[in-house]
Amino acid sequence: MLSKYIFYFLSSVAIYAALMVLISKKPIHSVLYLTLAFFAIAGHYILLNAQFLAVVHIIVYAGAIMVLFLFTVMLLNLNIEGEFPKKNIIKFAAVIVGGLILITLIGTFRTYDLEIIKNPTLNQIGLVKNLGKVLFKEYLLPFELCSILFLAAMVGAVMLGKKDIQ
Amino acid sequence: MNAIIALSALAILTMFFGVIQKKSVLLPLILSGLIIVFFLNVIEWGTFKHYYNEMFIADNFNIAFTAALILTTFLVFIFSALYYRTVKRPLEDIYALMLFSLIGGITMASFGNITMLFIGIETLSISFYILAGSKKFDVASNEAALKYFLTGTFATGFLLFGMALIYGVSGSFNLQAINSYIIANKESIPTLFYAGMILVFVGMAFKIAAVPFHFWAPDVYTGSPTLITAFMSTIGKVASIAAFYRLISITFLNVHDFSVDILMLFAIATIIVGNLSAMTQDNMKRMLAYSGISNSGYLLFAIIAMGPKSAGTLLYFSISYAIATITAFAVIMLVREERGTFSLQDYKGLAKQNPVEAFAMAVAMMSLAGIPPLAGFMAKYNIFSVAMNGGYVWLVIVGVIGSMISVFYYFKPIIYMYFHRADAHKKIETTKAYKIHILLVSILLIILGFLPGLVIGLL
Repeated sequence: MLSKYIFYFLSSVAIYAALMVLISKKPIHSVLYLTLAFFAIAGHYILLNAQFLAVVHIIVYAGAIMVLFLFTVMLLNLNIEGEFPKKNIIKFAAVIVGGLILITLIGTFRTYDLEIIKNPTLNQIGLVKNLGKVLFKEYLLPFELCSILFLAAMVGAVMLGKKDIQ
Repeated sequence: MNAIIALSALAILTMFFGVIQKKSVLLPLILSGLIIVFFLNVIEWGTFKHYYNEMFIADNFNIAFTAALILTTFLVFIFSALYYRTVKRPLEDIYALMLFSLIGGITMASFGNITMLFIGIETLSISFYILAGSKKFDVASNEAALKYFLTGTFATGFLLFGMALIYGVSGSFNLQAINSYIIANKESIPTLFYAGMILVFVGMAFKIAAVPFHFWAPDVYTGSPTLITAFMSTIGKVASIAAFYRLISITFLNVHDFSVDILMLFAIATIIVGNLSAMTQDNMKRMLAYSGISNSGYLLFAIIAMGPKSAGTLLYFSISYAIATITAFAVIMLVREERGTFSLQDYKGLAKQNPVEAFAMAVAMMSLAGIPPLAGFMAKYNIFSVAMNGGYVWLVIVGVIGSMISVFYYFKPIIYMYFHRADAHKKIETTKAYKIHILLVSILLIILGFLPGLVIGLL
């Protein structure tokens, strides 16, 4: 029962934060609200017993990507308050695009019978232990090859970043 | 599998040799390492093995394409001595990245699971993005790297989304499992699966630079350092086309009717646009970029027809294209270093002053154009006959017309080299080793033209 209340709480926080991302006048407030939305979604993952996903979500989105956003906003001095000039035609186009997405989503939900899973919290697949088993058994080779991928990326970063002698 | 392990070790060793600042040791080390890797790869011939839950399938197709990729890399490394002769530092990072992208390419030729395909493509592409920008203080190189990175990641997004849809419908990343899903549910495959297929095709078409996803290629190939362009346009294309063939021949063969329409559209548009755009180019590098685009159109023929000889013809075409392109780029980098630009005007009278280089360039161009008895002719002939046997007559007609157009622009440099008088150009001094190398490569192209059956018969 408790989890139900937590679910509603997290959902309302997520929706509120997502709306505030759009409504906020200052870009930096938008970014901070986005962080809040990510945390709320991470809470949902924990409710679904997907702890690993929750932690990765916080590390990658709330950690790395948000820091990147914040740095960009600060470095480029984008923190200007006020209305950005919006032409009527842009508003019109935005309404059409948004409306089309809404229609698509409603149409999808109407045609698809969404499966209601009983007791999603009993699902054990999101636990770190099970994930590790899959990763190191079935997906061992891709996992190892990822190290080559990262090594290539690191070599590249060093190569582009270091001073040339000549 | 041996090849990937040995190559990883070689790449790491390369970086260590960079630390101790031994420029003279590095290149011989890599070249001998590549020869060892080649043999390690070839001894697995005929042993059909699966590794790690069918992640890696070492069949003859994989071994043949891996051998072709290693051969191509070997040739590029041979000419790197000329290209980087003025650079004092050991260049271990660039060489290591080239080896990393070769590992990515080999993964793409051998995957048994879509995750492996994705990791292979990423390893190849990320190394390429960095290599394209490896001339740090050149604006064109920076532009090439950024453009390649932005468009490439966008295409990867498409690919990944398509893979996710296919996984969502079929419930597996394994190629065989997806195939058995298709066979079991032939009548009731949801539209979502086809949407996923289209998205995967878009991603793959981007990687082989097929029209309409070719826009990045001319700028990226022109801006990148010439040696890297030679590397990207050969390794990238051969690995991607091998991956594409593998994907379709194992997984999507039972829905091939659906794929054929899309692929034919790609192939016809690629041949027409690639050849027509190449005609107007005055920049040799840009012309070869468009030539690479049109060649991916011909490569798609083998995938569309999916006949018994498709794989062998694909291999033969890839090898002949790769060798001819590398030969051409080897001459281009020499001329560019001496005369400063990539313009066709620089090739005036090259035949008189540098007969060996001019001969190699002429052989490469004629092979790309498809003049008998060179390898390019046999490759085009065989790929057309594969398409003909599959019943795609219109495709062959478009291919032949495109081929005729291509003769026009491939012969331009030959005419400039042999029939124009050199205005103020001096003889270009080269080393003896370079002369021997380039002569050997062009002779290889001629010999290959007499042995098409040997290569095609392999697969």
